[in-house]
Amino acid sequence: MEERKPILSVKEVYGGYENIQILHGISFDVFQGEKICILGQNGCGKTTLLRAIANMIPFQGEVVACGLSVKKAKRLEVAKTISLMTQMHSLYFSYTVYETVMMGRYAYQKGIFFSSNEKDKKIVEESLKQTKAWELRDRLLTELSGGQLQRVMLARVLAQSPNIILLDEPTNHLDLKYQIELMEYLNEWVKKGERCVISVLHDMNLAINFSDKIFLMQEGRGVKYTSVKEFPLSILNEVYGIDIGAYMKTSLKKWDTLEKNGVKI
Amino acid sequence: MFMKNNKNQMNIIKNSTKAILLLGIAFVTILIGIGVGSVSIPPLDIIQILKSFFFGSPLSETIEEIHYGMVTGIRFPRVLMAFLTGAALSMSGTVMQSVLKNPLASSYGLGVSSGAGLGASIVMITGIGANWFGALCLPVVGTFFGLLAVTIAVGFSACMDRSQSNNTIILSGMVVSLFLNAIMNIIAAASPDNTRKILLWQLGTFSGKDWKSIFILAVVLVICLILFQKHSTELDIMTFGAEQALTMGVDLKKEKNFLILLTAFLTGTAVSFSGIIGFVDLIAPHVVRKFFGSSHKWVLPMSALFGGSFMIICDLVGRTIIAPSEISVGSITALIGAPFFLYVYFMSRRRG
Repeated sequence: MEERKPILSVKEVYGGYENIQILHGISFDVFQGEKICILGQNGCGKTTLLRAIANMIPFQGEVVACGLSVKKAKRLEVAKTISLMTQMHSLYFSYTVYETVMMGRYAYQKGIFFSSNEKDKKIVEESLKQTKAWELRDRLLTELSGGQLQRVMLARVLAQSPNIILLDEPTNHLDLKYQIELMEYLNEWVKKGERCVISVLHDMNLAINFSDKIFLMQEGRGVKYTSVKEFPLSILNEVYGIDIGAYMKTSLKKWDTLEKNGVKI
Repeated sequence: MFMKNNKNQMNIIKNSTKAILLLGIAFVTILIGIGVGSVSIPPLDIIQILKSFFFGSPLSETIEEIHYGMVTGIRFPRVLMAFLTGAALSMSGTVMQSVLKNPLASSYGLGVSSGAGLGASIVMITGIGANWFGALCLPVVGTFFGLLAVTIAVGFSACMDRSQSNNTIILSGMVVSLFLNAIMNIIAAASPDNTRKILLWQLGTFSGKDWKSIFILAVVLVICLILFQKHSTELDIMTFGAEQALTMGVDLKKEKNFLILLTAFLTGTAVSFSGIIGFVDLIAPHVVRKFFGSSHKWVLPMSALFGGSFMIICDLVGRTIIAPSEISVGSITALIGAPFFLYVYFMSRRRG
């Protein structure tokens, strides 16, 4: 492999919340155009790792994103580089979809009274169209279904024009069609320029189909980091404590039976 | 592209029409507030009197001298003070709700008002510090104590419940409020000469305010409105929670501290002049959001307008309904506000 400069470089990150140390020395590099999937059991620190990368929690070690040390750089600058799409827990006040996505442009707006210029408006429009949420632009967030809300949140992430998108279980609330559409969209997105995607996924099928590399975590440490094609299933079984290979094969067999019974796949 | 622009413009036009309407309502409310009382004064006369008062234009002969004195000396300052206080409290309530992303939060509910009240009453009774900041003494002391109260309330709830749920914050704000009120009552009781004055003031009153206080409150209000307005995008983003705000580039800690400080300043100033008046800071933002949407660019100034007008009405009801006696304005706002609080509480619980 030729010498390339990583877009995102995580070096020896230790961190957690107040008295609880969750991450114990995580290191990995992500290169241009790569889609990384973080796997691991609940509570192993996947979300915490994403938060550390986005500089939302204090941590020791170093995270460099596009040449920017996220700890030292201004938050506004980091926001132009990294965007984390989180799960919406609750909404207290109802904004329209358009207003919500426009907030994504916050880091770019200048002047005493932030006002959105033509460029911001154009980017917001594009983001909404790309996530197929343009028709919803005048609706209130509280009127949306879980899936629609998720798309709006993705539109906001895109409006931030980041180089690195971090996704925390992005397919929650999405039906299968939108799950696949979202992943296919990110597939295309990541190819355009200096970009990469890091996602926490629970669905093994999505992880294998969608990612280039898998970063497997166990109890706050990185266990394995290789490309999907070379990923040893045995480690996965060890970490999860169940036979994942058998599970996947069973479902494949069932598909086979379906196909034999005349269902076109 | 064109459609989008049209749509957006339509939204703005709609809101700005509503804003003009509300401005008109506020103006009419001020006229009513001045006109109604033991002696009623017709609105056209009031406009003439005010014109003459501000610009020195000559009065027509039909206007009685006593009316001129009544408007400029008593009713206009009172109505103005009511308006400014209502506006200040409503605006600080709006900011409180967004910063704590809690639709039930308010300066009153979190103890800012009680804290500011305690500070002001200490100055009023003991005279300590009365000469330190001159005319700004009460606002400064009020701000300091208000800030102290909200810090205790929020800190207390953070200790008890790390997730800082709505209920914990409301509860701990209530505890702090009641505690500070009790201290204030003890102080009042310990100095019999001032007891009546303190108790009256504790429930809120706009009578007998001098122009200096009005001027100070007006200046503070305008400064705060401009600063809040400047931070309206941050306020919008903060309602989505810490994680979202951070990822979009908001310097959350700094922003939060700044906004809470400013809120305490605004509330402290209003309370130290007019007393502890509750619930308007809860009601106004809710009503305004129903009509104008959630964007703070609109909600902030419109809450001020609405809250100010609402306060004039409450004061009007309080001083006329059992005239010549007066019901304190705080009681009127509580009469309307308490059921409203319950309504919001149960609605938000139902939604989840």
